[in-house]
Amino acid sequence: MSLRDEMTNAARADLERLLPGSALTNYPPIEKWQDWVELDSKDWAHGKKTKRRFSLIPTTCFNCEACCGLLAYVDKDTGEIQKFEGNPHHPASRGRNCAKGPATINQVHDADRILYPLKRAGKRGEGKWERIDWAQALDEIGSRIGKAFREGRRKEVMYHVGRPGDDSYMERVLHAWGLDGHNSHTNICSSGARVGYAAWMGFDRPSGDHANAKVIFLISSHLEAGHYFNPHAQRIIEGKMRGAKVVCVDPRLSNTASMSDYWLPVWPGTEAFLCLAIARQLIVNGTWDRDFVRRWVNWDVFLRETRPDLECIFDNLAPALLDLYADYTPEKAEHICGIDARKIYEIAEHIGRAVPGRLSTHNWRASAAGNEGGWQTSRTLFFLNVLTGSVGTEGGTSPNGWNKFIPVPPKNPHPHGDWNELTWPKEYPLTHHELSILLPHFLKDGRGKLDTYFTRVYNPIWTNPDGFTWLEALTNEDLVGCHVALTPIWSETAWFADYVLPMGVASERHDVASYETHMGRWIGFRQPVMKVYAEQQGKTVGRTYEVNPGEVWEEHEFWIDLSWRIDPDGSLGIREHFESIKQPGTPLSIDEYYAHLFEHSVPGLPDAAAAEGLTPLAYMRKYGAFSLPGNQERVHEKVVTPQELEAARAVRDPEGVYRVPGTAGMHSSIDEVNGHMPFIGDGSVGVDIEGEIKFGFPTPSRKLELFSPTMRDWGWPEYALPTWIPSHVHWEKLDFDAGERILVPTFRLPTLIHTRSAQAKWLAELSHAHPLWIHPSDAEKLGIGVNGLVRVTTQTGYFVIKAWRTEGIRPGVVAASHHMGRWRLDEKTGTPGWTAGVVSLSGPNGGFGSGGTSSDGQWHMRQEHGIQTFESADPDSQRVWWSDAGVHQNLTFPVQPDPISGMHCWLQHVTVSPARPEDRYGDIAVDTGRSMEVFHEWLAKTRPGPGPGGLRRPLHFARPVKPLASAYRA
Amino acid sequence: MARYAFLIDHDTCIGCHACTIACKSEHDVPLGVNRTWVKYIEKGEFPDSRRFYSVNRCNHCEDAPCVSICPTNALFSRKDGIVDFNDSNCIGCKSCMNACPYDALYINPETQTAHKCNFCTHRVELSLEPSCVVVCPTQSIIAGDIEDPNSKISQMLGRYDTKVRAPEQGTKPHVFYKGVDEAALDPMRTKILEDGMIWADTTKHHPTVPVSTPSIDKNIVARTAYTTNHPMAWKGKVSSYLVTKGIAGGALMVAGLLSLMGHSDERAFVGVYAPTAALFFAAVTGLLLILDLKQPTRFHYIFTRPQWGSWLVKGSFILLAMGLVGSLWWLGGVFDLSGLVRAMAVPGIIFGAGTAGYTAWLFAQCEGRDLWQTPLMLPVLLAQAVSAGAAALIIPIAAFDVDPAVENIVLWSLFGGLVAQAVLVAIEVTSHGSVSVEMATAAMMRGEYRGRFWFGVTVGMVGAGALALVAAAQGNIALGAVAGVMALAGLGAYEDAFVRAGQSVPLS
Repeated sequence: MSLRDEMTNAARADLERLLPGSALTNYPPIEKWQDWVELDSKDWAHGKKTKRRFSLIPTTCFNCEACCGLLAYVDKDTGEIQKFEGNPHHPASRGRNCAKGPATINQVHDADRILYPLKRAGKRGEGKWERIDWAQALDEIGSRIGKAFREGRRKEVMYHVGRPGDDSYMERVLHAWGLDGHNSHTNICSSGARVGYAAWMGFDRPSGDHANAKVIFLISSHLEAGHYFNPHAQRIIEGKMRGAKVVCVDPRLSNTASMSDYWLPVWPGTEAFLCLAIARQLIVNGTWDRDFVRRWVNWDVFLRETRPDLECIFDNLAPALLDLYADYTPEKAEHICGIDARKIYEIAEHIGRAVPGRLSTHNWRASAAGNEGGWQTSRTLFFLNVLTGSVGTEGGTSPNGWNKFIPVPPKNPHPHGDWNELTWPKEYPLTHHELSILLPHFLKDGRGKLDTYFTRVYNPIWTNPDGFTWLEALTNEDLVGCHVALTPIWSETAWFADYVLPMGVASERHDVASYETHMGRWIGFRQPVMKVYAEQQGKTVGRTYEVNPGEVWEEHEFWIDLSWRIDPDGSLGIREHFESIKQPGTPLSIDEYYAHLFEHSVPGLPDAAAAEGLTPLAYMRKYGAFSLPGNQERVHEKVVTPQELEAARAVRDPEGVYRVPGTAGMHSSIDEVNGHMPFIGDGSVGVDIEGEIKFGFPTPSRKLELFSPTMRDWGWPEYALPTWIPSHVHWEKLDFDAGERILVPTFRLPTLIHTRSAQAKWLAELSHAHPLWIHPSDAEKLGIGVNGLVRVTTQTGYFVIKAWRTEGIRPGVVAASHHMGRWRLDEKTGTPGWTAGVVSLSGPNGGFGSGGTSSDGQWHMRQEHGIQTFESADPDSQRVWWSDAGVHQNLTFPVQPDPISGMHCWLQHVTVSPARPEDRYGDIAVDTGRSMEVFHEWLAKTRPGPGPGGLRRPLHFARPVKPLASAYRA
Repeated sequence: MARYAFLIDHDTCIGCHACTIACKSEHDVPLGVNRTWVKYIEKGEFPDSRRFYSVNRCNHCEDAPCVSICPTNALFSRKDGIVDFNDSNCIGCKSCMNACPYDALYINPETQTAHKCNFCTHRVELSLEPSCVVVCPTQSIIAGDIEDPNSKISQMLGRYDTKVRAPEQGTKPHVFYKGVDEAALDPMRTKILEDGMIWADTTKHHPTVPVSTPSIDKNIVARTAYTTNHPMAWKGKVSSYLVTKGIAGGALMVAGLLSLMGHSDERAFVGVYAPTAALFFAAVTGLLLILDLKQPTRFHYIFTRPQWGSWLVKGSFILLAMGLVGSLWWLGGVFDLSGLVRAMAVPGIIFGAGTAGYTAWLFAQCEGRDLWQTPLMLPVLLAQAVSAGAAALIIPIAAFDVDPAVENIVLWSLFGGLVAQAVLVAIEVTSHGSVSVEMATAAMMRGEYRGRFWFGVTVGMVGAGALALVAAAQGNIALGAVAGVMALAGLGAYEDAFVRAGQSVPLS
């Protein structure tokens, strides 16, 4: 017998195939998950057939926002997680993942991860740490917060979260604490898109049904990034293979643009013009959904408000729109946007053929997050959905809330009645949401101070614009009394914390999240895999840090235990919310919390569980996800029955909206509105549509608002209609001959995810270099050689980066990804060595690392060295072959909050020139004095509230941790 | 019987690299090496530019050159078509890396053995798809049995136009590509530009066209925007080995000629020195071969676990046979058994030529290296052996009191070998071969290795040849010795250029 036969036969000898013959399948069936035998891949390579016994435990990914399903393979002999695959029972990811899913194993096993709670031993930022235990951390932080609460300083406690990956837990904690202390990452991300969507439909987020569309129109790079990369990429490609035309708008050739039928690299900031040109063309061509628009758009308000000369009849809508958008011709768009008018005609024809209902669109960050007035990008894009009747349809775009489900938590506390002006300042009544980028500026301006500041998997020094101003605020103990970093990974920000508390990654924590990945609703359950495994083995686990690596914990339990420390005797009224439901006086357990939540708050789940003889919690532990029953198509068309109206005590208003007394939509005094307001909308329950009472949309009119009375009433009448606002970086304002260019500093790669991926060596190996994309013609004009160093000068400083000539970018625009440029100040500790270079910081009042006091009063960063091999328990750390650590460009960007949405306008008006002789790669200089000036310049663009009724914000607008209505009174 | 294969659908692949990571996870692949990777290329000018992807990996060839060349059965084709490997047998000779025309193999730094995609055989055994298939967001990797008409892969192969990588190599690859851009599959049509790749550092180990010439550049239609490391497998030890075994084989060949021409009674020179030199350089040859192994202590597997189709095995036995002949010869010389010395002349010439020449067949098994596939390889090696052997004999000849006729024969052998070498090399570099050969030749003559190549030609062939001619005409052994030294130095330089240039052509 030959060796090959021996190998084959030996392996086959006593193994049972899942399928007959040569057929293959993706996963073992769920019945086998708790006792699954696989062959060891390494031993196989030695011709040995070693059986490995696994328990397969589902959880969800904790990298990007999508929260795709994962399946952790726990080796029953070693008790360690061997690998992560996908979860075939997850309705969004369907067993498939992007590179970041399986790379979770790197994050779990990273040899340099933070395993124990640490407390600062030296000065802030000095990098001296002592290991403490959780009890000490809880005691010290809890008593500090308790003191602040007792002294009436609730506003001085703030929780600042990056991507939460959870939908309701923290809202509950903050309500229970009676605190308007939530701060988010939203205005470095999606504030722009949200305001544009909210203006139309109340909901601030789109949910495209890409798989069933005829045209997929993306102002995003959804095949590699975005909400929600893997689930959406699956469905965009499905749609494409079924014949959909894919249009991608991006000044840069993204992978998405490469896969598109039309790549439209318009001038950054002119996307709204493009959309309106297409909208106009649809009307010119007569290819729009007249019935849908007549029924569901407030066209009558538009005509009454803007065209008193015309009779208010539907037939006058088209002529009025053509008058309104007379300038938005394809030919004018060719000039403004810089793309061929013929493409606009062609695309308008394709979109016309998608009528009715088959246009899916998406914008989330991209243009909306880049430009002043960028919120009009999503607004004008959604205009196309409205015109084609592609709202809530199969193959169209739904409000996200219809394809997302947020369960109500158990023992839901009464809403807090506080208003924090550090996060919700009067200048931005319409922002979506907190003005998080301005926190250090407000602190420096004396608008307040923080006693205890939690950053939770959030890295503002690195991620946010103007990081040196963050650094200045975070190192000033008068402004920030105590900084607690809750993080699974060292970061630039954690380095400046007082406590660094290790929190778990995907397989080490509980969360429940739901996202609008397709038409349908689901919830995904993230779980601490080692705890689930221990319990499968009949063991009892008290706290997850007992079974996680080191003493890595999860936040859910941390907040319970911390709340007990804050209010040990219950006198603050906080402790009760964190007591067991069944055994008051003892702490709530996470099992009890979720058992209750799954039992009472998720429709259909108890039945599905019962059908398998399981409790709802056991069902979720087994499957890791649940698809809610029901059809989410055309929810707005749902008929509201007289019984429902009666039950709600709804009252019809003159516009045909059914309003409910005592809600945001109907009250004589705001104090009547007492209790939880809906996250979005004013509490109205229906609207008369041509004689039928329908569910509608959560806008004040319960229709789609072409004309936005809210915009008019809150100080921006000129933007009551979808329009184009020339960007702060509009190309016609630039002096190209003087070297001015538009910098796009925000593009994502399919392989990395901000702060979190730094622990994943495989991802770092895939992508680490950080060139500045520049068109060859620009490089020639600017005198930048091949491989040349470039100095990019912003309003507040400059950075030095290497050029990469490419035909994949519009001339006039330069771009660098936002993933790279990670740094650490210490050779041994800090941001993981797979991705971080070592730098020194010199500042006006002293430096960090090997830096000192700068001579020019500015901040200077110098890269001591790029990425190198390093010592660790992982032999791969000696095999690091790359060196480029990138350039932390965000440091040089001043804050540029859009005056309406509050979105940081990421695109930069810069001057690009060859580097000077003294420049070195990675050099950065920033004048934070100038940063404050720019902050004030942008602040001056706002039209501060209060708005109608003396309110701080429209009551119907979405808001995290929505307070009592009375708190809205300015 | 099943026949497993992959189909990569580039109509749907979004270039996300999930397959790369899932593979790293399944097999714990160390940093720096990959079983599967995604190559990016970029074509066109703004705004009509585009990025294309190709997923690269082992092709599970029907006629797998890695299996043919593997000396120890470490690589093998399973009955279901999967090309798998067994670490326990691998000696780390890296010949598979040069045999594979797809850059599929690498040395795992952890095990110091050759690894590659093995179709996740350990999963397939359980009916599980390879991990890259399972992870793929867009289901662009289809793995299945092409003998089963109901499998998805069979249906897709029936319905769609597909391509394979490097079909001209005749390996019958079994990774089929749908919707792929041709340049994305042809490494000679794309190039890493000077400013590198899209989001990874570019090192000298990243494959790209080695030189720029008008005809090579004309062929390039896209830039390589992303690819992975593929370091050169054979370097100095292999080029040195070519020299030492040339000397060893050549010494016996020229001495055999002397013997046949009636000079076997030159006991010290022909009887002892010649076989001593041959044995010494044969021993160095063996040592170099062993030192070049990533698993040097397993060198004996070549004899204990031989795969007889491999010319590494055949060559090793030829080397052994040559050693035996040389030893008998040496014994004959030492113990003054002139009959034995004479009797070894013909075997000496045969096994000397075998020692020098077998590498032609070994290099021919390197399907990935077209430069080495030249039919002139054998005559070049033999000519090199004659001149190298003659050089080794002429250099110390003054120390022996030999008949001038002996000196004459050795000098003319030196000259003849060098002339033949020069002529053959001239023919080789001026004849037109494939693009790959053209590229390798250009790398050798005009690229990174031009210094070594031209040193080899000018000093080692032309210079040494001219001196050898004068020396032979004048019977000047001192001059002959100088020519010999130059010939050997030149040979070393030339071989190094040839070995490295042959591997400089990108395979992926």
